[in-house]
Amino acid sequence: MAEKAILYDATKCTACRGCQVACKQWNENDEAIPTEENGVASKNWGSYENPPDLSPQTWIKMRFTEIEAGGKVRWLFTRQACMHCTDAGCVRVCPNGSLYHHELGFVAYNKDTCTGCGYCIDACPFNIPRSTRNIITGIAKMDKCTFCTTQGLDRIAEGWEPACVKTCPTGALRYGERSTLLREGKARVQALKDMGWVNANLYGENELGGLHVMYVLDDYPEIYGLPASPQISAATIAWKDVIQPVGWAVGGLTIAGLGLNWLVARANVKKEAKK
Amino acid sequence: MTHHEVEKYRKPIRILHWIHSGAFVLLFLTGLILFIPGLGFLAEDSWTRVIHRIGAAIFIVIPIIYLIINPRSVARGLKLAFTWTKDDIGWLKAAPRYYFLGDEKDMPPQGEMNTGQKMWWFIVVVFGVLFVITGVVMVFAKTTASPAVLQWMVFIHDVSFIVSGAMLFVHIYLGVVHPLMTDAWSAITGGKVSTEYAKKHHAKWYAEVSKGKE
Ligand code: HEM
Ligand code: SF4
Ligand code: SF4
Repeated sequence: MAEKAILYDATKCTACRGCQVACKQWNENDEAIPTEENGVASKNWGSYENPPDLSPQTWIKMRFTEIEAGGKVRWLFTRQACMHCTDAGCVRVCPNGSLYHHELGFVAYNKDTCTGCGYCIDACPFNIPRSTRNIITGIAKMDKCTFCTTQGLDRIAEGWEPACVKTCPTGALRYGERSTLLREGKARVQALKDMGWVNANLYGENELGGLHVMYVLDDYPEIYGLPASPQISAATIAWKDVIQPVGWAVGGLTIAGLGLNWLVARANVKKEAKK
Repeated sequence: MTHHEVEKYRKPIRILHWIHSGAFVLLFLTGLILFIPGLGFLAEDSWTRVIHRIGAAIFIVIPIIYLIINPRSVARGLKLAFTWTKDDIGWLKAAPRYYFLGDEKDMPPQGEMNTGQKMWWFIVVVFGVLFVITGVVMVFAKTTASPAVLQWMVFIHDVSFIVSGAMLFVHIYLGVVHPLMTDAWSAITGGKVSTEYAKKHHAKWYAEVSKGKE
């Protein structure tokens, strides 16, 4: 099936945070004021950015960045939420497939089966998953944006756009065929360049095999707090692609070797006994 | 022929062995389900993590208790396990023929611990320490350590798991299943082995313990 995606145009975003509200409302994340209990305290910390971080109850958040360029202050807004990677670190490390690739390309999530290991948190190049966690018992559950495919709350299966896109008043968020959005995103970047934004770029076309959330940016990704070239970590590869298969082989060979030893040794013991 | 026996493992050692190995098996099984994707569904809702932690607490506390009540026994065990002589090299050379074909010809006489047992001690001590360090970091620094540190901790934990897990199979196999290890099981359950077994498998040790008795 043709892949779908979200295109976010930072140059059209006014950081009204309608998407944050719509996301919480649709997904029943009713936390009105972030509390200490969930790990995020609400206090004045000198920014309109609110809440200050993602949490198990906050799957999307507008990031506010202030930079000085050419003696002028610029106030930049970006969307901070799951990028729905094609090569997703979180999917690679999830021990039981609670995180998986949806047939339309995004990274869907089955919360019921989550073991709470938190491996996805450390493997995500964008620092997106969040979990509740009891440090002593280890009981935990992860949460992140599911591209509105949570069971029972699945907008995509209904043929609707995600809640954040639905609510966006400026058209900064759009949903559709990935190939179409890619084309339109590139056209928009070109238009920005023509307007004098020489560093304008489309983020997400090829990063990690292609993201299913792409950003039109008027300046370098780093300025917006995005990694210039997100990578699957070396540890993820060493663990999942090297040591885990080695482990299966070592385990299998050990058992086979012992079985063989038993057959040979028993035959010899019997032979000795007959003599 | 009357059946003569000698004591191989004293009772405290046997209790230590069984509690510690019970915790190890618990940790092994609750870890294994994260390691084999087909078993991962068993780990749903964190309950196996709770067991892994209870197992870990036992795994850490029991040797410490033993160390406090009988430091000399621990020191003696470590000394035995880490003292290697030319007989150990000889054992390594002769072992395949012995364990497969039952050919004892080239087997050098062994002390209280044979070379294989020494290697198992080495693995238990080294990887036991690695398990504890990496595990404790994953428990207590889960929300504070950097993602890279936490990921490498899982990696080292897994390397320890693979080496010690495979050797655990060998250890259990030799203790319980191998046709020639007739008295190993009774040694670690009831504490005693027959004199014939002791002479055959731990000749140097038998010479020591039987000195002055005959
Ligand atoms: C002694 C202290 C130990 C502690 C504190 C400890 C703790 C942990 C922790 C925190 C994890 C991370 C996964 C999770 O939280 O669900 C883990 C995973 C694991 N542990 Fe342990 N552990 C210990 C000993 C052992 C032992 C003795 C074994 C095996 C014989 C073992 C086998 C495993 C395995 C296989 C994993 C899964 C790794 C993976 O997902 O690839 N652990 N352990
Ligand atoms: S952004 Fe992070 S959580 Fe989302 S799919 Fe990529 S790796 Fe997974
Ligand atoms: S915390 Fe849950 S979703 Fe994340 S890797 Fe572990 S089992 Fe998968």
